Parts: sequence; C-alpha cells; structure tokens
Amino acid sequence: MGSSQKYKRLDIRNDIQELNRVVPFLDQLQEEWDLPVSVIPAINLALEEALSNIIFYGIDPGIEEEISIEFKAEGNCLNIILSDTGKAFDPTQNMEPDLDLPAEVRPIGGLGIFLIRKMMDEVSYERINGTNRLVMVKHWDNNK
Amino acid sequence: MKITTQTKGNDIFVQVEGRIDTTNSIDFENTVSQALTNEVKQIYLDCSELNYISSSGLRVLLTFLKKMMAAGGTLKLYSLQPAIKEIFDISGFSTIFPIYPDLVAAQEN
Repeated sequence: MGSSQKYKRLDIRNDIQELNRVVPFLDQLQEEWDLPVSVIPAINLALEEALSNIIFYGIDPGIEEEISIEFKAEGNCLNIILSDTGKAFDPTQNMEPDLDLPAEVRPIGGLGIFLIRKMMDEVSYERINGTNRLVMVKHWDNNK
Repeated sequence: MKITTQTKGNDIFVQVEGRIDTTNSIDFENTVSQALTNEVKQIYLDCSELNYISSSGLRVLLTFLKKMMAAGGTLKLYSLQPAIKEIFDISGFSTIFPIYPDLVAAQEN
C-alpha cells in the first residue's frame, strides 16, 4: 500500500437493519484497499457496537437521521469517523464492566462500548456544533 | 443466520450458522425460546458454523444461561471458532459459560 490517503464514505439511516449495508461495504473496502483480512472482524464488531448505540440510544425513535461513516486509510492505519446529530454521548467515558462477576449476577448489557475499546487501537470522541464525532483507529503490522 | 433446534428428552441441541448480531439476535432468542419447555435442563449450542457475534448476541446467550441455571440446568457451548473464542475471552464470558471442544466432551462433563 502506498503512502497516499484513501477515503470512502457510507451514510446510513438510523434504522438497525441498515447495519446490513455495513458488512458488504467493509468487505468491498477490504478488497479495494487491500486491507488485511484479519482486521475486518474487529472493525465490523466495533462499527456495529458504535452504530447500534447511536441508533438505539442516541436518536429518538420516530426521528429520521443520517449517520455518516467515513473511512480513511493511510499506510498501515485505518481511521473510521462516525458523525451523528443525536444526543451528546461520549462512549470513551463509559465505565468498564466487571468481567469477574459470576453468571447469576452478571448484568445483561454494558459490553458494547467495552468491545469497541478492545477491538480498536484508539477511540476518541468530540461534540462539535451539535454533532457527535467518534473516531476509531485500527493499526496493523506490515506482515499481514 | 440459520438456526436448527432438536429436542431429545430433557436436552435441546441448537446449531447456529453465520452471524448473531444486532439485526437478528431477537430471531435467535425467539427460535430457542420456542423450543424451551419446563422439562428442558440442558441446551447444547453447536458454534462450529458461528462466525460472528456482537454484544447483542452475547446478551441473548447470557439470558439463556441465566434461565437454564435458574432451572437447575445449563447452557453448554462447543466447537467455537478461534475468533469467537477470543470475543468470549475478552468479555469474560469464557469463565461463566461451560465451553467444550466438541459435543462428546460437552455431554460427558
């Protein structure tokens, strides 16, 4: 891969079935940009968790909004930028789940944001003029 | 996603193919729930063809595990693909679910 930056964008509606468009888009991106196949499942998971949070909790049902997903690749690094105009929510401030709790008392939810942080190398959030902007970064080695 | 369920005595054998994600975890939940009766003590989940799971899938599995444990049984998982096992390890689910290399081991333990 050369040093030039590559860019692609996918806009989806705040409908959970729209996640079905993300998977083929990622597969296409992997082929076109020659991304390592090994990083795609992690990116897929982080994206699903982040997008489903926005769709379920960030935007009130009945309101139609667009969520923008931008992909930027340069060298051995992929940046994914999610932008939405839903409620302000900073997933980087979320509490870590207690992974040692036995099944009986383990809470049913709370894993999604934790998985985003585990799957990606960097996650950052900013709120600019009413827009949530979540940046997720994935790096990989040369010997993919 | 494709799900098949088979009931034998007090056991249910479930096989899932493909993905359990936010868009279809409710289908998985409904299909397995329909097969559950008060007599069922064990669920055996064949994960050999499961190639993706997100937190919504993990949530449904945890719900069934809790339900089975409350009924004096359990939910046993077997033949997990390495990428799925990794998600279980990361989320701490490997320590709360009984996980086996294959069905024989799951039935013996």
